[in-house]
Amino acid sequence: MIFAHGGLLSDGELPHVLAHLEEEINGTRQTRTLPAERVIDALDGLGKRLSAGEFDALLARYLPAGTGPEALLPLLDRKSLEEKLRVELGPEPFAPRPMEGTVTRTEPLGTLFHVTAGNVPGLPVYSAVEGLLTGNVNLVKLPHGDKGLTLAALSLLTDAEPALADFLYAFDLPSSDRESLVALAALADGVVTWGGDGAVAAVRALAPAGCRLIEWGHRLSFAYIAGYEDRERELAGLARNIIGTGQRLCSSCQVIFLDTEDQETAERFCRAFLPVLEAESLRRSGPGALAQSTLCGYTAFLERAAGGLSAGERHYPGRGCSVTLRPDRELELSPMEGNVLVKALPRRELLGTLRRQKGRLQTAGLLCARGEREELTQLLCRAGVTRITRAGRMSETFPGEGHDGEYHLRRYVRMVDVERSLRERNNGTRPAMQPSPAVFEFSPAGNRSPSTCRCPERPAWAGPVSADRI
Amino acid sequence: MLERQRLFWRRRPYDLPASDEAFLRACAGNCAYHIRHCPEYRAICARLRFDPAELRTMDDLARIPVLPTLFFKRKTLFSMPEWRMAMQVTSSGTSGKFSRIGFDWGCILAEVPMVLRLGFRHGLVSLKHANYVVLGYRPDPDNHTGVTRTMYSLTFFAPPLRRFYALRRRDGAYVPDLDGTAEALVRFAGSPQPTRIVGFPSYLWFGLQRIEELGLRVTLKPGSRIILAGGWKQHAGRQVDKQVLYARARRVLGVPEENINELFGAVEHPIFYNACRHHRFHVPIYGRILIRNPATLEPLPMGKVGLINLISPLMTATPTLSVMTDDLGWLEPGESCGCGISTPVLNILGRVGMADIQTCAAGAAELLGKGEAF
Repeated sequence: MIFAHGGLLSDGELPHVLAHLEEEINGTRQTRTLPAERVIDALDGLGKRLSAGEFDALLARYLPAGTGPEALLPLLDRKSLEEKLRVELGPEPFAPRPMEGTVTRTEPLGTLFHVTAGNVPGLPVYSAVEGLLTGNVNLVKLPHGDKGLTLAALSLLTDAEPALADFLYAFDLPSSDRESLVALAALADGVVTWGGDGAVAAVRALAPAGCRLIEWGHRLSFAYIAGYEDRERELAGLARNIIGTGQRLCSSCQVIFLDTEDQETAERFCRAFLPVLEAESLRRSGPGALAQSTLCGYTAFLERAAGGLSAGERHYPGRGCSVTLRPDRELELSPMEGNVLVKALPRRELLGTLRRQKGRLQTAGLLCARGEREELTQLLCRAGVTRITRAGRMSETFPGEGHDGEYHLRRYVRMVDVERSLRERNNGTRPAMQPSPAVFEFSPAGNRSPSTCRCPERPAWAGPVSADRI
Repeated sequence: MLERQRLFWRRRPYDLPASDEAFLRACAGNCAYHIRHCPEYRAICARLRFDPAELRTMDDLARIPVLPTLFFKRKTLFSMPEWRMAMQVTSSGTSGKFSRIGFDWGCILAEVPMVLRLGFRHGLVSLKHANYVVLGYRPDPDNHTGVTRTMYSLTFFAPPLRRFYALRRRDGAYVPDLDGTAEALVRFAGSPQPTRIVGFPSYLWFGLQRIEELGLRVTLKPGSRIILAGGWKQHAGRQVDKQVLYARARRVLGVPEENINELFGAVEHPIFYNACRHHRFHVPIYGRILIRNPATLEPLPMGKVGLINLISPLMTATPTLSVMTDDLGWLEPGESCGCGISTPVLNILGRVGMADIQTCAAGAAELLGKGEAF
């Protein structure tokens, strides 16, 4: 199915829709803007109807068992949406900011092409909503296996606010339909990718040069144990994260690093942690979840054995979970589903080891004595992690937090500097921000004003500056 | 490998106790063969400290290293060079991942007597020509799935006059042609020969629904049969009770319940399980089934629900001697069925949900490799 103009079209219409899409988008962008306020109104209205239970039947049809609408509510609430805009784009998100000689306007990037993974239901809608909040035209490629939740949600949204219809398109395209994907990417000013390395690489190959690549990819999280404030409670919290998330989230604990070099200490930890993990594992109801965890852990164990990689490894199988002590120090993906890896990583080697995973680091669940928390937090920050939490709260979300070290909305906008006329400059308000002294110091002449600042003289042999080197 | 042929050429397909010794010997020989020829299998046996010489009683079967089907989806293991194999077959990959299994010529030689013997026993074999409607895939060079091969083979139990395939390949994907199927059934009902419907139960259900929607009355000739294989796959959420399905088949097509056969098997364990006249799957002499504790993988006693472990010494190209599916099920004593077959009955509860294992970290990238999603 295709979603366009607020309605559903059959896949057979694809060539026709694609043929006219550029013209339509240009028409929309030329004549209309989408104020964030209208998007917030529409989302808030939907949120209220959702809380009142109006969509319970719809959600029961599309959301996996055990997932409630609670997770969606922050996306559908005026206060949290306004807060998100303020946190990510500044106190007055779309107000022009007068500078010395110019005014900086926050404008939508233009057209965003969203390619989302199917592992989190509602992710395509979330991504499109972020695009709408920043005033962009959004083209969404539905993930394989999207059973209709996205199309249903987009329809509700445009029914609630028909002005959104020209800013929202969704396509149920297989990834093999490269021609259509390239056509969509060619229309985009930015391509937003959610997925692993393969997806990111594939989407990069689609995007034309000059298109902004916005990648929310593959991240790994871990726990670092250097001590305890309340050992029993903290280890139970860590076990709850491992079992509760099935280690499927970017923020789930994959590896428990221990601040030690001593193999025996590490083995002692594994033996002590296994019953804690097992207690959490057995709390799940039904044989299905246990079987799934056991199969995952056992299969990973066999894979290592078959590959001759298990030398030096200690495997501690539990009921519906396992702990594996590996002799190396690398952060890596665990077998998942309650099968955690343990590795020794003394703190003096922490930074160097984690740096090898740069660009993939996300949450560190830190367990340590109270007096050491600040020091270790600083060390983890320097190593490149983007979230530091208590072990039990690794996968919780906190209001106003970034995502993978960035604020999404900032990637979905452009800053446009418009020179002010002389009259405006003379009569207008004072610039909101003074250029920082650092800008002046950077100037080679030392005391030139920023507007006359220029680069150091280029030697003649360097040739003219070509456009692509600027 | 003669032990294998001795087992598969035995006469009485449901006389388990008499076959125990032959089965055990064939398993020991099969295991030793894989240890010799498959380095990965050898490493696993060494890690689990298993030696096939220890296989002395039927209880020892539980000690053979059991490889989950999930393992074969992640790793392809062969115990012979590919040129020596008769063919390679893949699982249907309902979850987006599939296993690749090699079949050796000896395996095919052993399958022949098994399939014929059970085919006669369960009324599948007939000398009367039949029209076939296959509610499955048309074999083509790009399709190596075991279920396609099985369904095609099933069209030889009665000599085929013509075959109609309900799943058509369009733009690289399979789409069901239900209206075409309904038309074919109407056409075949007018033929003097019986019709045989071979296929996935899900498509039988959807086809019956479609025929009723179209307001068609189709009464197939006496002797017509429905042979179901392959399970509900991606349509598991819409699975209906067997009795509801059979009642509808009788109402819409005039095929009585006793002319409906059901089959069970897996690419990793291609044993020809046939449902008895009470539609229960009894274990034939060619395989043994253990149920394992979902938390510890220890064998469970009869009646307890757990993971299904299928054991057979049929294959030498791939070490599938003892495999564990991601289905949960339980065994019950054969006598309780009352059909006359006394071997244990396997009850399948369904998947444990492995299909959806995806993470931010791993899932999307893996699917991309198959061209299925980003």
